[in-house]
Amino acid sequence: MWRPSNIDRTTGVFIALLVLGLALVTVDLRASGAGLGGTLRDGTQAVFAPVERGVAAITRPVGDLFGNLSNMFSLGADNERLRQQVADLQRQLQETESLKVRVSELEALLGIDPPGNLDSISAQVLAVGVSEFDQVRVIDKGSSDGVGVDMPVVDESGLVGRVVAVTDTVARVRLITDPTMHIAVRIERTGETGVLTGRGSGPMVLELFNTDASVIQGDLLVTADGRFPAGIAVARVREAARAEVGFSLRTTANPVGGLTRIDFVKVLVFTRDEATVTGLEDQSGLPSTVPTDNGTQSEGDSDQPPSTTTSTTLGGSAP
Amino acid sequence: VKYRRAVATVVIVIVAAALQTTMFATLRPFDAAPALVMLVVIAFARHLPPEGALLLGFGAGLLQDLLAESPLGLWAVVFTTVAFVVVRFRDRMEDDFSLLGPFVFGLTVGGLTLFSVLGTIFGEKTLADVGLIKKIALPALYNMILAAIILPFATWVLGATRRRSSPFQL
Repeated sequence: MWRPSNIDRTTGVFIALLVLGLALVTVDLRASGAGLGGTLRDGTQAVFAPVERGVAAITRPVGDLFGNLSNMFSLGADNERLRQQVADLQRQLQETESLKVRVSELEALLGIDPPGNLDSISAQVLAVGVSEFDQVRVIDKGSSDGVGVDMPVVDESGLVGRVVAVTDTVARVRLITDPTMHIAVRIERTGETGVLTGRGSGPMVLELFNTDASVIQGDLLVTADGRFPAGIAVARVREAARAEVGFSLRTTANPVGGLTRIDFVKVLVFTRDEATVTGLEDQSGLPSTVPTDNGTQSEGDSDQPPSTTTSTTLGGSAP
Repeated sequence: VKYRRAVATVVIVIVAAALQTTMFATLRPFDAAPALVMLVVIAFARHLPPEGALLLGFGAGLLQDLLAESPLGLWAVVFTTVAFVVVRFRDRMEDDFSLLGPFVFGLTVGGLTLFSVLGTIFGEKTLADVGLIKKIALPALYNMILAAIILPFATWVLGATRRRSSPFQL
């Protein structure tokens, strides 16, 4: 017959630690990442940042050496691809110049500031997530540099993520590929809106509410979400969408930002309050088009897709 | 001596976590990195007293939780379980890498799988990750390779040797 005395000391300690661990998980989840857990996290990150800086300074040559070795094999193919890209970009540049004039005129007409007018803070990626499951980056700028929670983070190609925690000297950025991230986007070509969801790694899932919408391979998706400035490039559609039992169109899209190799990023000094269209909420009968929560809740707190803004986007241009 | 070993173990866990977040940010063959902190827990749990090994697992897991976005305590549960398995099976193995290599591989796969399952239960959606198999298999493979260095290193740091007292002792 089983008795508690049958459990040896080691097993007893193991069970006690498991219970303690699960209790901590429960308490931390109930506090939604704030409270004691949040304080401890911020404190650890602040204490750990100098250690990471030191270790990074020592080990960077080793990482770079291996990185350069692996890059050598793909240099030829990269060269050819880049030549093609230069030719394409030159053509696009000519088209963009004429569009730019027209967009400026329209913006002036509508009184909308483009994302390019936002202040930004340049930062370097100091560290990555501590496990393969962490879709986060730690950057070397914190609240003392003006970085705040919820600010969007971009690289030269487009949206990379959003600041989720800040200490004085460093900030933690959750990548857009995190499975808890839902971003309202607009197809640049057609203006149709949908929701882009991260899947940890690889392509993201795009769901469109209009089942008759036209979605083709290569379509650029730009932000249409109150938490980000409108019009930042987010992803490109991988394949034409297909309707799923008549409720939504579903396909996949590749992030345009170089998420696996980002080194330098820009934090846009933007909070969702700036996305609020002044006076719109005051008008009865008009729905609010901007998420109205207080701005501190993370995507992980809710599975509800975000609502979309109705502001005009700046055609796919990253700031 | 006991105190010095404990301090050395803590320092090595912290350095392993720092290496994981910095050096292995760029050194990522096939876009994956080893689960270094877990490997350090496995290596040191082979030599520490049973309760010490469990506390090491819990503490290292807690540190990883504090550096990650996962709920506080999730990695602690996983690493404590890993340490417990090591404590239960360590007497079956000597310093024979033909046994230890697959053991480290299996334990890393088990630990990461446990994290994925628990993470999904607690709302982290880890099982929804399209690259899940790669994120489990490749770190386990790298851990098995690195075990050839880390396991003897832990033995050297703790000044210990492991000899099984009985072939079938659990």
